[in-house]
Amino acid sequence: MSDETKPCCSSGNGEPTATRSTAPMWIIVVTLVLLFTGGLFLDSHSGWFDKNVYAPYQSSAQLESFQPKSGAQAVLARGKGIYESVCGICHGSDGLGKPGQAPPLAGSEWVMAKGVKRLLHIPLAGVAGVIQVGGKDWNMNMAAMGAALSDDDLAAVLTYVRSSWGNKAGVVTGDDVKSVRAEIGKSPQPMSGDQMMKMPE
Amino acid sequence: MNPTENKTICSSEIDVSCRVPLLALFGGAALWLVLGLALGIAAMLSFHKPDMFADCPVLNYGHAQAAANDLLLYGFVIPAALGVILWIFARLSQSPLALPIVPVVAANLWHVGVLVGTISILLGYSTGHPWLEYPRGASVLLFAAFMLVAVSAVATMGFRLNRELYPSHWFLFAALLWFVWSYGTANLFLVCNHPPRGVVQAVIDWWLTNNFLFVWLALAGVGIAFYFLPKIAGKPLASSGYALFGFFTLVFFGAWVGIPSGAPVPAWLPTVSAFAALLSIIPVFALGIIARKTVWGANVTCFGGPFCFIRFGMLSFVAANLLYLGEFCPRASRVLDFTWFNVGVTQWQLLGFAGMILCGAIYEILPRVMNKELPFTKLAKLNFFLFAGGTLLFVIPLLIGGVEQGMKLRDAAVPFADASAVALKFLRISTTGQLLVLLGALCLLLNILVMTIQWKLGLVKCVIAAVTAPLKTSEVKS
Repeated sequence: MSDETKPCCSSGNGEPTATRSTAPMWIIVVTLVLLFTGGLFLDSHSGWFDKNVYAPYQSSAQLESFQPKSGAQAVLARGKGIYESVCGICHGSDGLGKPGQAPPLAGSEWVMAKGVKRLLHIPLAGVAGVIQVGGKDWNMNMAAMGAALSDDDLAAVLTYVRSSWGNKAGVVTGDDVKSVRAEIGKSPQPMSGDQMMKMPE
Repeated sequence: MNPTENKTICSSEIDVSCRVPLLALFGGAALWLVLGLALGIAAMLSFHKPDMFADCPVLNYGHAQAAANDLLLYGFVIPAALGVILWIFARLSQSPLALPIVPVVAANLWHVGVLVGTISILLGYSTGHPWLEYPRGASVLLFAAFMLVAVSAVATMGFRLNRELYPSHWFLFAALLWFVWSYGTANLFLVCNHPPRGVVQAVIDWWLTNNFLFVWLALAGVGIAFYFLPKIAGKPLASSGYALFGFFTLVFFGAWVGIPSGAPVPAWLPTVSAFAALLSIIPVFALGIIARKTVWGANVTCFGGPFCFIRFGMLSFVAANLLYLGEFCPRASRVLDFTWFNVGVTQWQLLGFAGMILCGAIYEILPRVMNKELPFTKLAKLNFFLFAGGTLLFVIPLLIGGVEQGMKLRDAAVPFADASAVALKFLRISTTGQLLVLLGALCLLLNILVMTIQWKLGLVKCVIAAVTAPLKTSEVKS
């Protein structure tokens, strides 16, 4: 009650003032560190603002992986997984291929063919020489990438390829793979496009 | 009033202009504080003797607890803070209170609103949303009254002689806007004719609760402390840049907190809240450090005086809000959700932080405004010790009991009833603390009440003296 003793006061009037200096550097650094730590937490736990992701789960991809699948869906999911680790590196996860390296699979006449014998020959025996895809000549070699896959796995991959990116063609079964594999035998010969066209469809 | 006019005005003149509005706001606030604490004790009695209010539906736990909480926030904290804000703005402006009749009307409207709301809750007409229990009629009254006080406060601030703003200005002006915004929005969504359905209601309510208990209390309480601490310590506030940093981080991050981790809502909501809670630690620490730096080395002998109240309030601000923010850490939340811990933190924020600072401010302001000493200075000092001891005794057992209860709830081998029962021994201690706080509140009420009665008697004496005074000879008709 010190200012009450002076009834009519002059300029200062006993009101508080503040010294002028900025916030110290350390607290700004701590803020930035917390911002970074919090950002990591936000990234891993928020499900990126997806309204379908609830607490113990962290992203919509994680939720998708927990969804049980059956029948045709299961085959497609299996094929997609194998495609992305074996074929997608060159042919692309969008099936559009890479210029000069791998022809596109989307809309390719080899993929969409009614019979699957020629199509199966490609991953099981490989390609050497010119092959015509979508009216263009592709001169490259492809190893027998599918030879190591089981019959069912290869069937799933090809089924996936034949029904993705706008492709609409029938299912490839494990038995199809088995018969073509038996025909090729133990020493597969990579063929060019023209050579393969001589085979029955 | 022309702000450029260089007229010095006495502090006492400014104080007198605040007298009637402040008495109206503080008197009602003290009364509601006593009633709120008493109702809180009545609610807790249900845990000591469950059948005590079995035949009295008005006082059963659900009614009494909601009414007690709302009385503390809407009855005591907000009107008391509004009164202090009016006085601080008038003092900082070096100008008498603008439109002094408006806050008097508003104070009465506010108290009627609280009365209507409390009676409605006790009779069972609550809306059912925590911290928004008052029915529509009472909410409208509170909102209108707040707007009226805010108009007077902002007008006073506009008339300030020194155009430069002091840090308390930012905090208190933001508090005025913050209440209107959050209370208005929450009421429009929840207490209107067509509230949103389902869990969205709970999300809105969590948002409001956080905006009141964390952001609003921090803005008002720290703003008031930043005025009184340097004033009493006789030192400048350290420093304005630091305070600006604390202010902006508080309003920027504070408003996102509030959604508990276990909430049945999409994961991003509680995650964003936890993120904001982590960053809100910064303003809590920064504002605490500023208060510490300001009072450090100040030679103030205070034995239960206003300085003690406000210093204790700032300590509680840091402690209670760190615990509050900790609740939003997902790991802590798994243990602490649905326990007494949250109740303890809330009461610490309301009583230990806001209540302490407001009581200190009232004891500092009242003698100046009334231009005479407090009638019971010893009771005012006793009030500090009762409040400080009582709050800690009230809150700390709830915090410890909450943690123990949460551990037991997590243990599948412990039956639910046993997990709830572990809190009982803590509640016994806690209620003792509540009684001490109630005694402290009675000291405050007694001081304000006696001061008001003395002032009114003085007015009556003045009138009688004027009426019975012998006529001057010049006025006597011959």
